[in-house]
Amino acid sequence: MAKFIVRRLLLMVLTMFLVTIIVFIILEITPGNIARRILGPFATPEQEESFRRQLGLDQPAYMRYLNFLIGSDWRAERLVGMPLRRIKRPGTEFYEWWATNKDDALIRWKLEGEDLIALRLQANGTVVESIDNDRWQTDEAGASTFWGIDLHDRAVLWTRGGQGYWVRSKGGGWWVEKAGGPQKWIPLQKGILRGDPGISVQTGRPVAGTLFRRLQNSGILAGLAFVIVMPLALVLGLIAGLNEGKTLDRILSIGGLAGTSTPSFATGIFLVLIFAIWLRLVPGVTVFASQRAILEKPEMLVLPVLTLALVELGYVLRITRASMVEVMRSDYIRTAFLKGLPYWRIVFKHALRNALMAPITVIMLHVNWLMGGLVVVEAIFGFPGLGNYIYKAGLWKDVFAVEAAAVVMVFLAVGTQLVADIIYTFLNPRIRYA
Amino acid sequence: MATGEQASPPGLATRRSLGKRFRDAIAPILASKVALVGLGLVSFWVVVAIFAPLITPYGPLEHDLEAMNLGPSLEHLLGADNLGRDLWARLIYGARTILILAPLSVFCALAVGATLGLISGYFGGWTDEVVMRLLDAIMAFPAILLYLIIIFALGPSATNVVIAITIAGTPGIARLVRSLTLDIRTREYIAAAKLRGENPFYIMFVEILPNARGPIIVDAMLRIGYAVIAIGTLGFLGVGLPPPAPDWGSMVAQGRIYIWINPWPVLWPSLAISSLVIGLNLFADGLREETMRYQ
Amino acid sequence: MENIKTPVLKVENLAISYKMRRGEVPAVRDVSFEIHAGETLGLVGESGCGKSTVAFGIVNFLDRNGSILNGSILFQGQELQGQSEEELRRLRGNQISMVYQDPLASLNPCLRIGEQLSEVLIVHRGLSKEEAYEKCIEMLKGVYMPDPEAMMLRYPHQLSGGQQQRVVLAIALLNNPALLIMDEPTTALDVTVEAGVLDLIAELRREFDTTILYISHNLGVIAYVSDKVSVMYTGEIVEQASVEDIFLKPMHPYTQALMRCVPKLGESKESSYLPPIPGRVPSPMNLPPGCIFVPRCQYARQFCRQKHPELRQVVPGHFICCHFAEEIAEAEWQPPEGLVPDLTTRGRRENAAEAILEVEHVKTYYKQRGRSLISLFGLGKKQYVKAVDDVSLELPKGCTLGIVGESGCGKSTLGKTIVGLESPISGKLKFLGFDILAPVVKRDKRLVKELQMIFQNPDSTLNPSFSVGYQIGRPLRRFGKVSHNQQRKEVIRLLNAVRLDASYYNRLPRQLSGGEKQRVALARAIAAHPKLVICDEPTSSLDVSVQAAILNLLLDLQKEYDIAMIFISHDLSVIRFFSDQVAVMYLGKVCEIGPAQAIYSPPYHPYTEALLSAVPIADPCAEQKRIRLGGMVPSALNPPGGCYFHTRCPRKLGDICEEQDPPRKIAGKEHYIYCHIPLEELCKMGVVVTLPKDTKGNS
Repeated sequence: MAKFIVRRLLLMVLTMFLVTIIVFIILEITPGNIARRILGPFATPEQEESFRRQLGLDQPAYMRYLNFLIGSDWRAERLVGMPLRRIKRPGTEFYEWWATNKDDALIRWKLEGEDLIALRLQANGTVVESIDNDRWQTDEAGASTFWGIDLHDRAVLWTRGGQGYWVRSKGGGWWVEKAGGPQKWIPLQKGILRGDPGISVQTGRPVAGTLFRRLQNSGILAGLAFVIVMPLALVLGLIAGLNEGKTLDRILSIGGLAGTSTPSFATGIFLVLIFAIWLRLVPGVTVFASQRAILEKPEMLVLPVLTLALVELGYVLRITRASMVEVMRSDYIRTAFLKGLPYWRIVFKHALRNALMAPITVIMLHVNWLMGGLVVVEAIFGFPGLGNYIYKAGLWKDVFAVEAAAVVMVFLAVGTQLVADIIYTFLNPRIRYA
Repeated sequence: MATGEQASPPGLATRRSLGKRFRDAIAPILASKVALVGLGLVSFWVVVAIFAPLITPYGPLEHDLEAMNLGPSLEHLLGADNLGRDLWARLIYGARTILILAPLSVFCALAVGATLGLISGYFGGWTDEVVMRLLDAIMAFPAILLYLIIIFALGPSATNVVIAITIAGTPGIARLVRSLTLDIRTREYIAAAKLRGENPFYIMFVEILPNARGPIIVDAMLRIGYAVIAIGTLGFLGVGLPPPAPDWGSMVAQGRIYIWINPWPVLWPSLAISSLVIGLNLFADGLREETMRYQ
Repeated sequence: MENIKTPVLKVENLAISYKMRRGEVPAVRDVSFEIHAGETLGLVGESGCGKSTVAFGIVNFLDRNGSILNGSILFQGQELQGQSEEELRRLRGNQISMVYQDPLASLNPCLRIGEQLSEVLIVHRGLSKEEAYEKCIEMLKGVYMPDPEAMMLRYPHQLSGGQQQRVVLAIALLNNPALLIMDEPTTALDVTVEAGVLDLIAELRREFDTTILYISHNLGVIAYVSDKVSVMYTGEIVEQASVEDIFLKPMHPYTQALMRCVPKLGESKESSYLPPIPGRVPSPMNLPPGCIFVPRCQYARQFCRQKHPELRQVVPGHFICCHFAEEIAEAEWQPPEGLVPDLTTRGRRENAAEAILEVEHVKTYYKQRGRSLISLFGLGKKQYVKAVDDVSLELPKGCTLGIVGESGCGKSTLGKTIVGLESPISGKLKFLGFDILAPVVKRDKRLVKELQMIFQNPDSTLNPSFSVGYQIGRPLRRFGKVSHNQQRKEVIRLLNAVRLDASYYNRLPRQLSGGEKQRVALARAIAAHPKLVICDEPTSSLDVSVQAAILNLLLDLQKEYDIAMIFISHDLSVIRFFSDQVAVMYLGKVCEIGPAQAIYSPPYHPYTEALLSAVPIADPCAEQKRIRLGGMVPSALNPPGGCYFHTRCPRKLGDICEEQDPPRKIAGKEHYIYCHIPLEELCKMGVVVTLPKDTKGNS
């Protein structure tokens, strides 16, 4: 059995590795040009080129994949020649990259005209600026250059009096041409393996923080739906299976089919129409004022959970029913009947465990679908969860946010499948004692 | 010379005419009530889609400002939306779109998936290992996530929707075909084919594939159902077909804004999707039970 | 009659039918019989004759679409028909127990053996768990289960096939039932295991005085276990009598014909002929109006076609369902004219000394994934299943070599290695003087054509998607035997050669019966005129009457096309009948090889001796030595050292058997035995099977 589980674990690692490659290929290497996707059709070629370089998109694909996977700071560290640290700025929620000077002070730079200005972070969170032109180094061509950290968490190669570049103002749209300065950029990140999938193009903040909160919210939503659906669906499925062909089975089966066949967005909208607009029992959208609001206003969860539950109920019910029907037709159940055992003993002792084995694997595989439902449900109700995050990030063309969220989502799906496999192992003596 | 059981039973035709072949093929459908109901639902949509211009006097994009947000009436059978467009017309023109895109995408996935599954199952070994690991990785994605990122990368359009559904559907089909291949590969007629020195591709595509068709067709029906829901969902999320195409999903999304005045524009396309998917499911269920009975 | 008491089971005019989509199928019609205390009634018939339906009808546990239309079932004088489900439940497993074919499928995979045994006692007797467990362990000892305490804690998949069947038997016997119904309980087992289980059943019968209804298609098994026998044919009992009467003086034309087409152990193709039963079993939906056997009956008259006969007592204790039973005497039976082939020409031709196939020290191993953790990374010790382990043999042109052995002995793998479906890891393989070590995909097309194979399972031997004509024509096209426009003609000629007419050309496999499918497969195999055909259990899934027809056909074709054959089978009688030379295999090795006649008479290899003594013989008067093998067949993954058979050999000498490979002993002309026992000792072995009035085989 240990071998089985270890094999599963190894496969999971391999799968996740491939998943990151797939995500990366789809989002960064497909013919569509990321910069153009983000900038829209109206940017000039110069602007686009400059923008690409600022995002580090001029680096070769494998390098970008490595940045995405294990980070770029270790590479930048060598260029800057100082240890780099990511810290939370005192008094804020933001993470920032700083270089560590010899005197253990945290330092970043900016360029003003031809002057290099050093910014030193003080213990109280304030910043002290000073001119730091001593750091300029002369390269072979005779130009003064310097590798440092800028204010946007990038390692930058500055050149004194170098070419101009284009900067997009916050919120997109506005372009400002800035003269002189940076020639090369390496956006700093620790990489997804080290818990830092990069910076959101849309907000300019690290993706990780937002993602984690969204994950929690989605977890509450999906968890509630799961807890409600599973017992209900399994029991109903078993009842339907035991009554195969009878009216009760017909009603449950057709109900289940109707449930799975109705797209979740339709279910959601009609639930809103009935319960929020007509009956005015619960709110139809989720608007949270603060992070903790999800727990303070549980009534907002009712409709999203209900929608998700309805979508899942039918599917699990049908699988369980089919499995029960098959088990009840098997030879060993026939033996049990011929042994003269009472009906309920046959059902509970002989049939149940065998009948639950198939659904457990299928249900866990179905986590994929649950997440699909999550995206739609969260989009309908404006629920601040992972699904909504991906959807919105997608609409905003926020490549790195989508990448990160996608990998996290797949990881969750694969992880639950692993759990399902392990549960299955315990349920099935053929594997346990193989 | 007397031989065992030589007399042929009466009633078995000696020649298989085309008509008989056809009757053979549809026998399991006619035999199952469930399959017939399913087929009825599906054919309803197919027929209205084909004859769309003959069935409604309105075009899908035609505005009738007087009918704006009106419920069902004699003039507009199912009512009209907030721009006064006839819902019935939009519905049946929408059926055209979905009945082309959904089967098309499943067919593409089938072509790719079946080929990979056959190769993987027949050759086994390293080929199998590599193909399956890769497909496992694609399968690990929640389908909608894959759709979203693919369409995000390629941009929303009918072609890209088909590409997305093809990619997402391929691993499942490949797995199915692979498991069928693994089973059929051990049958004795495959050994007989090898003993004739047939080449592997003949064996895969001529000897194995036709015998896997039953489960593949059933699976494809279910998949077309999923594809219908997927296309609807993408339309609803606004990343499917660009407006103002009469797409069922985007009809719901538009109608949703005015739902408290006029729920009809949301109701009809929702029902349309449900009925089509239920039809496909029932058809597949009935077919599966019948083919199992035949074996 | 000794039993004046009420019979344990009395079935009268039982009729059972199944509702199918195409209408009602009367699977069982007007069946009556009774079984008295301590008696065993054997119910025998070919597949689809309704014998299992009778069994499930008795306990009223038919499939959902089945129903009892008519008749009464009296169990110890009490009518079972119309009893409530709860009353029936109390009887089942308590008063009436049932054992059926596949033991693994009938045990719950998720429950320990102990639980599955003890619950019968807990439910019916109300025993406590501890008491029940104790009783179960006792019962397991009673069925000779090794280490019963440990077995109680195991799961079904951890037991061997024989052990599983013992568990099922133990479950059935726990409550000491008044009636035990057994439906083909040994069919899935190997002969040596089967013999053990049959002995056990006989012993339990003596010990518990159980009344048994024993259902089987195997005449040999029925002859061994039964006191009385009922012969069923398409849903009716056609003959019923004591076991001796049925086997020695059968009176119904069907029973007579059935007995004739079973090859008796010791008969060979030179000495006897197996007359098949013409025609085929009518479908129960489409029965002839008069006697149901009319279409296939040699004695049928006009009267038979009009009136359905009743089962009537012709001689005391002998019931027959035939209008003219008195007039049909078995002894005077003559085969229909022109049917008996010239037996002398069917033997091996003397001038054929040249070897067509040479197999030398061939080994075919399968790689097995290790169980340890490191094997995940491809490390650790590689393990091999030694399916064929150092086999050497030769096959002269036009001859037939029979390979016999129990399941897992490597006989099929050897066949597949020769045709190139499996690759040997070492050894020499020569066919027509050419090296054929390469797998079939790498062989020359001309060589591929000369080597064909016929398979076991008629349902998978033909591709269900293509017509018969296409499938027979394919090798013609592949090997370019005939020009394109001649193809159809040639296919029809081949169809005729396997005694099928041209109307089969366009049929699909699912429109054919099992025997017909095997014929088509045969036509496909000989289409390219191969020099060697390997027949891998070609008749073991067929009914005996069909088997006879196929065997005859194989013999005819062999002569006509001058084909050498390797005939693989687990059935010693069929092998003896069909082969010139026989090789006996055990655990991947040949342990005895020689002319067929020599193998079946002393000196024997100890394993051959055990095999012969385990064969159920369709003759209650046959004398058979009783040698039973203990233990289990060792795993081919890890075979024992020395002689592979030493772990189970009843004649084991000592350490030498465990340490040294057995030497090859020449026991006669071309007859070799691989054994440490001195030849003189082996020659002293007695004949295992003696048939009464034995005039033919088994010299």
